[in-house]
Amino acid sequence: MLAIDRHAWTNRWHARHPLEKLLPALVMMLVALVMSPWPTAPLVIAVMVTLAVAGAGVPATAVLGTLAVPLGFLLTGVPVLALAVDVSDGLSLGLAPDGLEMAAAVTSRSLAATSCLVFLILTTPMADLMPLLGRIGVPRLIRDLMLLMYRLIFIFLDCAITGRQAQVGRLGYDGPRRSLRSLGWLAGSLFQRSLDRGRRLETGLAARGFTGDLPQPSDGRTPSPVALLAGVALPLAVACAAWLGPLEYAAWTK
Amino acid sequence: MHIMEGYLPPLHAVAWTVTAAPFVVAGVRRIQRVAEDHPETKLLLATSGAFAFVLSALKIPSVTGSCSHPTGVGLGAVLFGPNVMAVLGTIVLLFQALLLAHGGLTTLGANAFSMAVVGPWVAFGVWRMASGMGRSLAVFLAAALGNLATYCTTSVQLALAFPDPATGIGGALVKFLSIFAITQIPLAVVEGLLTVVVVNLLMQYSRDELSTLSFAPRTASRAKVVGAE
Repeated sequence: MLAIDRHAWTNRWHARHPLEKLLPALVMMLVALVMSPWPTAPLVIAVMVTLAVAGAGVPATAVLGTLAVPLGFLLTGVPVLALAVDVSDGLSLGLAPDGLEMAAAVTSRSLAATSCLVFLILTTPMADLMPLLGRIGVPRLIRDLMLLMYRLIFIFLDCAITGRQAQVGRLGYDGPRRSLRSLGWLAGSLFQRSLDRGRRLETGLAARGFTGDLPQPSDGRTPSPVALLAGVALPLAVACAAWLGPLEYAAWTK
Repeated sequence: MHIMEGYLPPLHAVAWTVTAAPFVVAGVRRIQRVAEDHPETKLLLATSGAFAFVLSALKIPSVTGSCSHPTGVGLGAVLFGPNVMAVLGTIVLLFQALLLAHGGLTTLGANAFSMAVVGPWVAFGVWRMASGMGRSLAVFLAAALGNLATYCTTSVQLALAFPDPATGIGGALVKFLSIFAITQIPLAVVEGLLTVVVVNLLMQYSRDELSTLSFAPRTASRAKVVGAE
């Protein structure tokens, strides 16, 4: 149902400690954000896609497909960024000076940061990331809430897809008026079901002596120091290459 | 109206996170207070949060031909109140980033501010003020204006990050507002109508459940009922 989640659980690195994947993703994202996009952005994208495909064994189509959706959004944003309002004679839109360069820089920086996010979410199951939230001070209540939500999402998605199919089979999405009503009913009945499920959970847990805690088994894994070191070294190497690369090239062609 | 990962300059990303944080923390405190006495609230909120995520994954039929997704900002604000929505909305945004690659971690603060703070507060305020005008109209206005407030906030965030070279932040704001208006105003209307259909359905078929829910004003009375069971 959610392809990203499927890959997160089935890739070669899924059992590795989440910190070993979170650290390189976040440090690399920082590199992509603070350094000038050229040549950092293409380098970051290349490294992160290679790590996901060659390292974690996520299919290349999945990695590129996951990147393609944000890329679509980013590309539609390019004209918006590149245009400027002109108030000299009335209100009109025109291409800003350096508008295209600025838009290209923002778009490539954002795509590079997205590739880091995509690497993280395709290799790391979401349930693994939640214990880490505790270490940065997210309260227990919120983590419990998130873990429960994560479990419930798939049940509700299944419900939504089945409901929609049933509505489509009865011509429920024929024309905008009917579509709106069908969608409203679908959302409404989903909400009823979610309340109902909440109540059943209440009853079920109350019967088992629920006092408010949802204890999680700790996974007992420890991050390997080598992997953590590599996770920091790789982004730093990319940063150095992106910083020194153009200088070297200039010296070499002189 | 998600701002994508890495789209905002680092300083802006941090600033928006700091701006959104107090609202989320206040919401967490509130939920914690209620959950201390009544642990089952946690379950209800989790199912509601999962519902909100699934709702945002449903496609909305849009007037312009493209399709979009309901934000649920208005519905959530009316059902749970803005405090709880700040928390649920932020969690849903994080889930969207981690499960759908939609939005991002660095822009979570900015997105949370527009979608989980400003949108719900505006929707809630409108709903309260318009409640004399009849339920359907109040719900429609709350959802539509909440949606519009979200889009205006996002435009401000983008204008601050990318000021126009000639006309500055003001010019950029006009630019972003006018370009996004083409898609966002019809979407706000659609979301308003959709929310009316949902709320009417719920009022018709699950009045009892709604009365046990009303998280915002009647938590105490609800808790008593549950406690007595």
